Amino acid sequence: MNHTPGTAGDGGTFGPEQAAALLDQTTQQARRKFQPSPPWLLATRAVMVLAALVAIWLSVRGQHPYRGPTAADIPVLVAFIVVNFAATVAVRRRATAGVSGRSRFSQGEIIVLVLAFAAALVVMAVLGAAGVSFAWYPTSVLVIPGLAWAAIAAARANWLSFGTGLALVVLGVVGAFAGPAGSWAVAAVGLCAVLLGEAAAIAWQQRA
Amino acid sequence: MNDDALDPLIHVPTRLKIVATLAALPDGDTLSFTRLQDMIGLTPGNLIIHLRKLEEADYISSEKSRNGTVSITTVALTGHGREALGAYTQALRDLLGGL
Repeated sequence: MNHTPGTAGDGGTFGPEQAAALLDQTTQQARRKFQPSPPWLLATRAVMVLAALVAIWLSVRGQHPYRGPTAADIPVLVAFIVVNFAATVAVRRRATAGVSGRSRFSQGEIIVLVLAFAAALVVMAVLGAAGVSFAWYPTSVLVIPGLAWAAIAAARANWLSFGTGLALVVLGVVGAFAGPAGSWAVAAVGLCAVLLGEAAAIAWQQRA
Repeated sequence: MNDDALDPLIHVPTRLKIVATLAALPDGDTLSFTRLQDMIGLTPGNLIIHLRKLEEADYISSEKSRNGTVSITTVALTGHGREALGAYTQALRDLLGGL
């Protein structure tokens, strides 16, 4: 087997096996470092969302009539949302540091996502005022942001994120048929499954 | 098939790391010089030497911009560079598969 001597001050020999190993190692490391949604974060989020929403489901499933989460549940939900948001922003900021271009969300995309959440709350309030039963189900809030996420992902040709967005829409629709208490269980299991699925897909992509 | 099939410009550990790192970004994305330096673990002078060689071959492009008083240099893999890495990877596969 021939070896090509290293040049430009690298010294020594650099064979094809070493090159293949270095290429593989560098590619995987770079993919991990540039990944704004690393599998470990998604898996952690999946466990947290399962724990938080199952806790709420356990507290509401015996309610007759349904009154919604108790005062003790609200801090758990708010803490989950705050921790999740902070961790997502911190990890995303680290991954995209120094990166410019399509890896980063454009201002327009951020505005679309914020408007989607605002629109979801407005639609839920309108449906609630009209007496629609599933208006305030936890799964109902997923439909419009899920659609917005899928649309943005499709525009970026990011089919994994597109699938995640569609899965959120499906969860929202399924939850509407699960009843007020059951929708918490649907949200818990469904979101956990979606997050674990995305984590597995990203981990597989990074190794490919 | 022997090692001669491997692009000598890429077949250097440091430049292979640079090209592989930039290739991990989506097509068209750029990376700041400082982040690349941090990821590769080179001194600025060394990195500049390797980047210059890659730029001369049109494997990467670089751009300098100013943000107030701070000068920011960004680098990106060109389409030509991506093709060269693809050809290099294929040559490696052929070479190792033939061993």
